[in-house]
Amino acid sequence: MARMKFICDAERCIECNGCVTACKNEHDVPWGVNRRRVVTLNDGIVGAERSISVACMHCSDAPCQAVCPVNCFYKTEDGVVLHDKDLCIGCGYCFYACPFGAPQFPQAGAFGLRGKMDKCTFCAGGPEKDGSKAEIEKYGRNRLSEGKLPACAEMCSTKALLAGDGDVLSDIYRERVMRRGRGGDLWGHATAYGRADSKPAGAALPTAPAAAQPAAQKS
Amino acid sequence: MRPFLALLVASSFAVAAWAQQSSGPVLPPAELAKQEQLRSVQQPYNNAPVWQNARGGVAGYTSIPAPEAGVLIQDGGQNWRALRNGTFSIIGGWSLVAMMVLIGGFYAWKGTIQLHEAPTGRLIERFTLLERMAHWATAISFSVLAISGLILAFGKTLLIPVIGFTLFSWLAIIAKNLHNFLGPLFIISCFITFCIFVRDNLPKAVDFKWLASFGGLMNGKHVPSEKFNAGEKIWFWGGLMVLGLVVGASGMVLNFPNFEQTRATMQLANLVHLTGSMLFMLGALGHIYMGTLGMAGALDAMKTGVVDEAWAKEHHEIWYDDVKSGKVPANRTASGGNGGPQQPVAVGGND
Repeated sequence: MARMKFICDAERCIECNGCVTACKNEHDVPWGVNRRRVVTLNDGIVGAERSISVACMHCSDAPCQAVCPVNCFYKTEDGVVLHDKDLCIGCGYCFYACPFGAPQFPQAGAFGLRGKMDKCTFCAGGPEKDGSKAEIEKYGRNRLSEGKLPACAEMCSTKALLAGDGDVLSDIYRERVMRRGRGGDLWGHATAYGRADSKPAGAALPTAPAAAQPAAQKS
Repeated sequence: MRPFLALLVASSFAVAAWAQQSSGPVLPPAELAKQEQLRSVQQPYNNAPVWQNARGGVAGYTSIPAPEAGVLIQDGGQNWRALRNGTFSIIGGWSLVAMMVLIGGFYAWKGTIQLHEAPTGRLIERFTLLERMAHWATAISFSVLAISGLILAFGKTLLIPVIGFTLFSWLAIIAKNLHNFLGPLFIISCFITFCIFVRDNLPKAVDFKWLASFGGLMNGKHVPSEKFNAGEKIWFWGGLMVLGLVVGASGMVLNFPNFEQTRATMQLANLVHLTGSMLFMLGALGHIYMGTLGMAGALDAMKTGVVDEAWAKEHHEIWYDDVKSGKVPANRTASGGNGGPQQPVAVGGND
């Protein structure tokens, strides 16, 4: 069974925000909410600048799910963390608990009154019937049920952002690391999936030809 | 007292652990950027210095205009989750159960404490209408806040298995809205109650005598007290004032997320709120017990405003003597004052 994950390759991300736009457009995301965002560290410092696209990471042991007072979160067979907006009470606890800042709340009234939580669904909709009108209105399109991968990754121009079965993604990323010769640090993976899952990428390091042909085989 | 202490100790440990965990950036961002520049030449593709601060809450640049959108990992949430779901819920929940068992045991042992002398039929006004209204506004809003808070804290464990997801979600939506909207009202009524009752709650020497024998609650010996005994005064200062401030302030931080307070602030505020409200509820259980089942005549005093002279003499002898000697009028509403020596003119009322 597939375990759906995101990988963002910081060597390739060019901070075009195409993923952010693709997501907003695909799902008609509520005003004030961005399910995905691009963060640039060391912005403008030559040689030190790196960008990362971040959204819900669909954690193995999801903190949002653990603290939700109404238990509105559930996990699909593919390891996607989804929630039921009919049960959500807008308390904000998932927002306190999430390390990635994924859960967000459209404002439902004065003084920051929170509406129903909204977050990345890995383009897998919600508990309603796949592709139904109710599902599209609440969660956006259910691309997984149509056999498609998340819109953000499909739209990524440099293929920095990858989404899909974790094993396949690991193979792709491992190959990239091998070709580059070094650098297997996958941002956010240890936090989201635990140490055990980050083995494939980490294990690639010792076997990689240690900077034998550095610049020639860039991928 | 033990659940109080346990909760206090647990929360102080929690805060200490908190302070340790959120240690902030490892190195200044500028320093790490310099290291990364060097690395990109000496060891291409090794980005370790870039990510070193990602967990330290250092914000990068992002075009998304939301608070903290530039922060990649906020790791305080993990501590909050562990403490909120674990330590705080377990200690808080069980100390409430323990308190109820203790009170039940005490009731089985002592029963309702009755008056020893027959009522005289002569009445003294103990609480004016305004005082009673302030008390009940505080009491009712407190009860609703406590029950709705307990539903939000423990409903997932205790109620969902019984009533199911949908029904509990409706209940939780009602609870959340009641909690959010009554919160500010509770703070206001706490403040008004504080202003009204503060003069009669100033600590005096007799209070220590009362405390030494716990008001004669255990041995049944008579201890004179003022209008409010030391137990009531402790509840006034420790409960109404201190816990009211702690729970009120932390609640407001959570209630109004539109001031761009960070997640770290809200996580801490939630833990403070949990600790404060658990202590508040433990104290309230004792206060409610003494005001209803535990002591005959106490509830009537707050309901009707008047008490029998025999009751006043038995429970608040110093106050009773003051009434008898004319220092405090027996009917304060008619005499226009608010207790204490009668004022010739009383304009504006109580605060």
